[in-house]
Amino acid sequence: MDLTPDEDQMALQTATNDWCRAHMPLAEARSRPEGLWPQLEMMGWVGMTAPAMDLDHPTEALVFAELGRFLAPVALLSSAVAARWTKFDGKVALALAGTDNIRLFDSHNATHALGLFDANIGSVNIDADCETRRSLDLSTSIAHLQSNPPVETINDPRAGLHLQLLVAAFSVGCADAARDMAADYATLRQQYDRPIGWFQSLKHICSDMAVRAAVARSQLYYAACALQAGESDAAFHVTAAKRLADQAALDNGRANIQVHGGIGMTDEASPHLCLKRAHLLQFLAPAESRILLADSP
Amino acid sequence: MDIGFSAEEMRFREQCRDWLHANIPAEIRPLDAADAIDFDKHWQRQLFDAGWAGINWPTDYGGRGLSIVQQVIWLEEYAKAHAPWIGANFVGINHGGPTLILNASEEQKAFHLPQILKGEAIWCQGFSEPGAGSDLAGIQTRGRIDGDELVINGSKIWTSFAHVADWQELVLRTEDGSRRHAGLSWVICDMHAPGITIRPIRKMSGQTEFAEVFYDDVRIPLNNVVGGLGNGWKVAMSTLSFERGTGFIADQVKQSEEISELISKARANGMINNDHIADQLAQMRAEVAALRAMTYRNISEVVRTGQPGPEASIIRLFTAELGQRLERMAVLLLGEVILDFAYGDDNAVHDYLRGFASTIAGGTAQIQRDIIGERLLGLPKSR
Repeated sequence: MDLTPDEDQMALQTATNDWCRAHMPLAEARSRPEGLWPQLEMMGWVGMTAPAMDLDHPTEALVFAELGRFLAPVALLSSAVAARWTKFDGKVALALAGTDNIRLFDSHNATHALGLFDANIGSVNIDADCETRRSLDLSTSIAHLQSNPPVETINDPRAGLHLQLLVAAFSVGCADAARDMAADYATLRQQYDRPIGWFQSLKHICSDMAVRAAVARSQLYYAACALQAGESDAAFHVTAAKRLADQAALDNGRANIQVHGGIGMTDEASPHLCLKRAHLLQFLAPAESRILLADSP
Repeated sequence: MDIGFSAEEMRFREQCRDWLHANIPAEIRPLDAADAIDFDKHWQRQLFDAGWAGINWPTDYGGRGLSIVQQVIWLEEYAKAHAPWIGANFVGINHGGPTLILNASEEQKAFHLPQILKGEAIWCQGFSEPGAGSDLAGIQTRGRIDGDELVINGSKIWTSFAHVADWQELVLRTEDGSRRHAGLSWVICDMHAPGITIRPIRKMSGQTEFAEVFYDDVRIPLNNVVGGLGNGWKVAMSTLSFERGTGFIADQVKQSEEISELISKARANGMINNDHIADQLAQMRAEVAALRAMTYRNISEVVRTGQPGPEASIIRLFTAELGQRLERMAVLLLGEVILDFAYGDDNAVHDYLRGFASTIAGGTAQIQRDIIGERLLGLPKSR
């Protein structure tokens, strides 16, 4: 039993963080340049989950949490699951199946989209003339597929859990980003001649953000290990991880805006980027209470 | 990263399980400290004789010298088996003992540690005072040096098991005119010494477990100072991270048993059909799992680096608040039956009333949030 990253994993974590900081700053998530995706492909983050790469789920979770911290493109999630479970490589858009339509995210230059269709991972073709616009999450485009396209499904529940785990990792990163942004601001911003983080009312908001992020990250690690080991309760643990990570991302996203005060409500400041990302992630492979309440998880 | 245990650890787990299954007392542990003391001492002796006391304590002092992971496995199985709380031995085993291991002289360790493990010596903690609660550095109880003795005057409060204890980890001011963290010492105080008066205090749960302690010219040998005169704050803090990290594993496993029982109860009485209740139960099931994961992370950190990570204070706060939410849910599921509660009842209502302690004792939830904000996030110190 060991739930801390080893040296190789920590090195990969640091390298990912360094690259993101230099090439994919969070503040630019309001409008990602088109040239970013080819760079991500070149760095290996698109194909790293392919079976030939033999990467384990815990390491994946660590890397995706770092990518998520910088609000990396959400097509990384669908592309990663596609690389592992389908014949598609390269960019695969993210599909969110609703009751009467399918929403597509990051579909630029993608021929297929992948997401959960009922309980299974499935993929659809993307029409060439599909109209895209900005989503609530400014980092991604959104398109609506009105037709009922044929869905090619993968009948392996592990594929769905894989997507859920990676989305949870993105949420954990998003929660971390909001926590750090709030703590930085509470250290810098002065009122009553002292940093606002001196006041317990503000300090404790930040502490609660740290608690939520730590709780979610711990469960993410456990879930990744359970999925990797093929444990019988892996679905329970991945579901728990997704629920706690979504919550951490949403609650930290809101708290971060409050800590920032007036500037936190503006388009020019970054806090809303984390909150909006959290709202997108909460709908992807959502955590089902039914699984958490089952008799023997 | 992995969540598997080695073959040796799994064998150890089986041994724990088998022994507990065969030896857990049929008798229920009494609630009041004075009634429970014989039970507690006897059970601790039984644990010691079978080799389950001090699993990761040094062998020189009666421990088994095994790994912290094995200690965790024991605590997990202990809670799963619904073994009785170690009660009056809690302070010696979880706090006094570990502090002595880290800070005491050979002589002090050789004398006290085996007695703690055997349940022969009961310890209590003398930190809080009427005027020094969250602001612990405001301690006023004084020890005047007189030859090779300390002459102690003052009072302590909220001292669990004081009226049944033999020894106390007493933090007091030994330098005249010293302020705050300076000039404090950590002393082993003989609770049977002349000049000590103990006034037990009843809690709102009806239980009499803690007490106020008065010192009136109590004479304690200078030899009983641990870690050197004037180093009391450092000695007291040395085990706080231990307490915040791994001292609560039994509670956590108990919580995972509790949430499953609560879900079954809610299903049986139909309250699970209330979406709000179902959502809270689902939430707590996920949180209980995460708490175990967080504890495993912390233990892994201890194994890797020899120290608990800075997130230990998060575990402490989260365990306490999650425990209280579980206790509240248990009471909610009971409905108006809670009105039948009478002092002396040992049930969910009792646990609910007693559980208010967990966000107050050993550092309030508010102090824990200060620590998290200041030490983990680097926010400016407010005090």
